[in-house]
Amino acid sequence: MQENQTAFRPSRDRRRILLIEDEYVNQEILKMFLEDSYDLVVAGTGTEALNIIRSQYEMLSLILLDLNLPDLSGLDILRQVKADSRTARLPVIVATSDGDAEVECLTLGAIDFISKPYPRQEVVLARVLRTIELSEDRDTLSLTERDHLTGLYNKEFFNRYAAQLDIHHRDCPMDAIVLNVNQFHMINDRYGKVYGDEVLRLIAEKILELVEQSGGIAGRSEADNFWIYCPQCADYGATLEAVQGDLNGDGQSENRIRLRMGVYSNVDKELDIERRFDRAKLAADTVKGSVTRVIGRYDDSMHEAELLAEQLIEDFPAAIRERQFQVYYQPKFDVRPNEPILNSAEALVRWRHPTLGMVNPGVFISLFENNGLISTLDQYVWSEAAAQIRQWKDRFGVTLPVSVNVSRVDMLDPGLIEKLQEIVTRNGLTTRELLLEVTESAYTEDAEQIIETVTQLRKLGFRIEMDDFGSGYSSLNMLSSLPIDALKLDMQFVRNAFRERKDTRLLEVMILLAESFELPTIAEGVETAEQMFTLKMMGCAIIQGYYFSRPLPAEAFEAFIAERKEIEPHTEAKSGLTRKDNYTYNALHDSLTGLYNNSAFEILFHDADQEHIAVLIADIDDYPNLRKSRGRVYADNLVRRVAEVLRSSFRSVDHICRLKEDEFVVIMSRITSSQKELVFSKIESVTQALWEGTDELMPVTLSVGIAFSDREHPDGDIFQDADKALWRMREIWHSGYAVY
Amino acid sequence: MTVNDLKTYGADTEEGLRRCMNNESFYLRLVKMIPGDASFPKLYDAVDKGDLDAAFEAAHALKGSAGNLSLTPIFAPISEITELLRARTQTDYSALINQIREARDELAHICEE
Repeated sequence: MQENQTAFRPSRDRRRILLIEDEYVNQEILKMFLEDSYDLVVAGTGTEALNIIRSQYEMLSLILLDLNLPDLSGLDILRQVKADSRTARLPVIVATSDGDAEVECLTLGAIDFISKPYPRQEVVLARVLRTIELSEDRDTLSLTERDHLTGLYNKEFFNRYAAQLDIHHRDCPMDAIVLNVNQFHMINDRYGKVYGDEVLRLIAEKILELVEQSGGIAGRSEADNFWIYCPQCADYGATLEAVQGDLNGDGQSENRIRLRMGVYSNVDKELDIERRFDRAKLAADTVKGSVTRVIGRYDDSMHEAELLAEQLIEDFPAAIRERQFQVYYQPKFDVRPNEPILNSAEALVRWRHPTLGMVNPGVFISLFENNGLISTLDQYVWSEAAAQIRQWKDRFGVTLPVSVNVSRVDMLDPGLIEKLQEIVTRNGLTTRELLLEVTESAYTEDAEQIIETVTQLRKLGFRIEMDDFGSGYSSLNMLSSLPIDALKLDMQFVRNAFRERKDTRLLEVMILLAESFELPTIAEGVETAEQMFTLKMMGCAIIQGYYFSRPLPAEAFEAFIAERKEIEPHTEAKSGLTRKDNYTYNALHDSLTGLYNNSAFEILFHDADQEHIAVLIADIDDYPNLRKSRGRVYADNLVRRVAEVLRSSFRSVDHICRLKEDEFVVIMSRITSSQKELVFSKIESVTQALWEGTDELMPVTLSVGIAFSDREHPDGDIFQDADKALWRMREIWHSGYAVY
Repeated sequence: MTVNDLKTYGADTEEGLRRCMNNESFYLRLVKMIPGDASFPKLYDAVDKGDLDAAFEAAHALKGSAGNLSLTPIFAPISEITELLRARTQTDYSALINQIREARDELAHICEE
């Protein structure tokens, strides 16, 4: 900020007086009286005066008014100033030689008089100062110019002075900057408020120094929000360094205080001052939590996002009126039976915008949540979904419950229960058919009221699904006391569990916990067979996600309803015979060893990340002869033993399958040929365990063929190449392991 | 023109100067503005035509300036005529106008020196 012009220096501490006086002599004398102590603006006519008042009222401290003007009467001006709420606070001193006018001026709101001929300078100065101070004291009751802690301007005055800068430097490009302290509340919590205040004071001091060089102004509000308004500057790296510099010399190095900055450069002066700083704040938020980026700039993409948000809000009423919102349905399958059964659907909204095309709900949902429009949208979806349930009932003769979102703001609406009941009644449905998804965070924020509302809804028969469970607010002990009917695991939470270093332990704990409260679990965002099987294995009851289907328009969704109609009688006849939970298990697992079977292998192999896997094919050496000579029971026991050893030797992320007889396949995920040694050590520990034998079983050896997805010169697919490695090795060594 | 000339003319130069913070040249500069003030012809003209509203405006303006510079020879008749005009008194203003005209002309003469 050092590069700026010295001329740019608002006289920040001088108050400004508007002098309305048409006589040259009087003007000159008053100017001489006042100009050493005040900024003066002179108006020679009433019209000119009113123009100045309208444009500069925020910066004026006083109006000195001559009653006798060539165009308007001074009384008219006084009347207009006092009638406008923006200018009414301005104190007015009337200069007059006319004693009779005084009473009228007083009733109109003038504070004091200066007689003509003028009294001595000291008298005029004293009256002016007293009048200004009186009026400022009055203002001070609600606002003080400066923030007591740091000496920077408070928001109100900052805005006024920023407007003043604009008026005097119309053509100078300006920047709006927001400075925040990362995790400031943590600093306060950890080191106490005294220390936190000291940090703020230091920052303010440094900022003040900088703006005094550059000719800008600085303000602060709400703890660590600092604003700077100054002439445009290309690089703020040094500025931030300078402010930051002083903070870390205090021995708190391991808990460095870090600042972040948002810059809205070359502001659009047509915008309100507050809007300009909203933009700077938006830019600052983009680097929140980032270690490497400390300065965020308001750029075109943010501007576009802002414009889009504005447009969406503006277009919302028409969108509702013209039914541009379309409800899509994503099936939820009950995966507990052998064949997954369509259980219900979730209603999801899409916006078919007349000019923007399909608008992603990710864009508009959070926007509407923030400004309350979400209530209207929610109610629209409830009505649509209820009408759809009715229609399916009539056309297919089936009841398919549909779940709808009930946003936090809806939960606080005293009319919520009536609205929901009305919708259900209007469509001739029962309260069981419209499932309500209430987001987890709603429970933590307004717990009491929401619990009460939910309790009432449940009494009426509505089923409540707690949505987004695991998204961050989860308090496990809440589960025991909450009136809910199902727990819906957050999509991101599910995905994260399966990402890179697959870790599904927490997922399993949650499902078990829900089970212990007799709450069925619903998982959404399930995309692959592996995810589906794992969740199913853990006891998750209902699964929703691309694995089954993406959200579909109502007509397309009907295929699922038709399908269910076909399989339902069949499944229900069967369900009396066997324990439901074993169905899928059997379909995917080998009954002898409990490993994945052939069909599971097909799915797993298909879904595995083909880039970073290793496939191992293993045979028991001499198995056909053993089986012949020692019998089937012995052979089965041997296979079981091998399965057990394999299971205990490989990692939990590896999939072990038995394809047939003595043929095993291990799919190791997230591994490359550079980790051959790891694979070999696994194989060796398996070989060693089998070589030791047991009381009933004699030692055996395995032959293993290995192929990595990053192998050189692949011939067939990874499975075929592993098989080739196995056979080539066999031809030479009879037993052992080999890599393709 | 000197302050003494103005004193001889009848101005309360002490008061006038004090109001100008004893800045002589500033005071004299302002005084020189007075004879050329457009309110004089406006006043004469308005009184001639019997337009008492306009006459009052002009007199009122002159009263302020002359008063602030303590130009007593002008200020005294101007004050008198301003009060009469404020009440829109129908009377013969020619004596007062003459007195004002003479005071202005004399000041103009002093200013030219």
